Amino acid sequence: MSDLPSGVALLALARDVLTSELMPLLPEEHHPDALRVARCMAIAQREAETAETPEHEFRDLYGAGTDTDQPLRRFARELRIGAFENSRDREACARAILWRLTVAKLRRSNPEFLAANGFD
Amino acid sequence: MAGTASPRSEPRQRALSRFLAAASAARTVEITALRRLRGGALQENWGLDAHFSGGPLDGEQRLVLRTCAATGIAASLTRLREFAVQKAAFAAGVTVPEPLFAGEDPDVWGKPFFIMRRAPGIAAPDRITGDRALDLVLPAIAERLGRELALVHTIRPPRPDLAFLAPHAEVGPAQQIAGFRAYLDRHRIPRPVLEWGIRWLETHIPPPAEPVLCHHDFRTGNYMLDGGALTAILDWEFAGWGDPHEDLGWFCCKAWRFARPDREAGGIADRTPFHRGYEQASGRSIDPRRVRFWEVLASVRWAIIALQQGDRHMLDGERDLDLALTGRRATECELEILMLLDPGREPGARARQPPGQARGSRFAERRGCPSDV
Repeated sequence: MSDLPSGVALLALARDVLTSELMPLLPEEHHPDALRVARCMAIAQREAETAETPEHEFRDLYGAGTDTDQPLRRFARELRIGAFENSRDREACARAILWRLTVAKLRRSNPEFLAANGFD
Repeated sequence: MAGTASPRSEPRQRALSRFLAAASAARTVEITALRRLRGGALQENWGLDAHFSGGPLDGEQRLVLRTCAATGIAASLTRLREFAVQKAAFAAGVTVPEPLFAGEDPDVWGKPFFIMRRAPGIAAPDRITGDRALDLVLPAIAERLGRELALVHTIRPPRPDLAFLAPHAEVGPAQQIAGFRAYLDRHRIPRPVLEWGIRWLETHIPPPAEPVLCHHDFRTGNYMLDGGALTAILDWEFAGWGDPHEDLGWFCCKAWRFARPDREAGGIADRTPFHRGYEQASGRSIDPRRVRFWEVLASVRWAIIALQQGDRHMLDGERDLDLALTGRRATECELEILMLLDPGREPGARARQPPGQARGSRFAERRGCPSDV
């Protein structure tokens, strides 16, 4: 077990120090880069807090645990060739996965963007 | 000196002065200021003030030297070719900074470059779309931009001066789709949403159009305003033959609305004045279904470009925060693709906000195009 404060907590603290204490001391021309640094830290913090896409996302489409191929790669390959287009249920299932994958990624990398698009 | 001297070094500036004097038939040219301009992820732009003695540019001149960044992406024209495109646009009456000279002698700048006049004003998209003081003039700017785009589209093949541009048959939607897939095959991480969007494009390719010169990056951020007036259309590095609706769709793509995602024409107005300006000046009607196709393609294309920008940082050794973060923006385009092609099915979406409520975001919701998926 790591010592406390956790890495996530340290990142949050460091980001706060950067934006509230250090940035005002920087010449204005360096503010955009400081904001980018803060954004990188926020992404790293959120990614450390949440898991990557679990394989069970694909259970509805491919069943549980029988496929050795990486499900994300298989899913992409099958979307390319329109593999779900002949089944309304499977297509609906595929679209639902696309939405969930995308929203989950944006929750980690850019939640403000999601909020601006009407997502809680 | 070639390729290694600092742009501000004395030998480099002396070489540049000699180049300018020879190119402009001046007796001498004294460089009085040289500074890197902001913006330009793929190119470097240098503000260049110089005093010309003799020749047609006699006197003080405010210029821009445009050259390549350390790394680039494949779709970008070389500087000498961009110079030729910009000359063609200038001759067609498009509001572009007059291109003056181009050079590729490595002893002058270390890499190919061209020189153009420097237009006054700002291009910063967040300022243009977010400054309420501009609100009254922006619909007229949108209409003017529609007219400017119609002028760009008066340039048509065959053009011996633009013979280096790939024939339209080699860069049409089917070829672009093949290029997207080829890139995704090389990319490390599968992108299911892009694959799905590309599949939609593949099954909805419109009939071929008469090709015109497309700017291919005609958007807010690539034009300049000064005192509420248009002064320049910039960044011609992606120009090529294409369907005129490509540029119309790109301009309205949500990625380019910045502080005002509710204003569908580049974050500055609704589509009406932009389309009106285009239709009046071109004499052609805009086909909304074609625009929609190209708008979906625009989101896919921008996602691929964003990934390529990330590659410049990750794979090409160009250590850069902005490039690294741009790579992350591909997922924003993927959300837009889903919203365009699968509207109304967003999990966790709130009731739609009224237009303008999402200010401060680069993107927000857009509706109005029927879904035929």
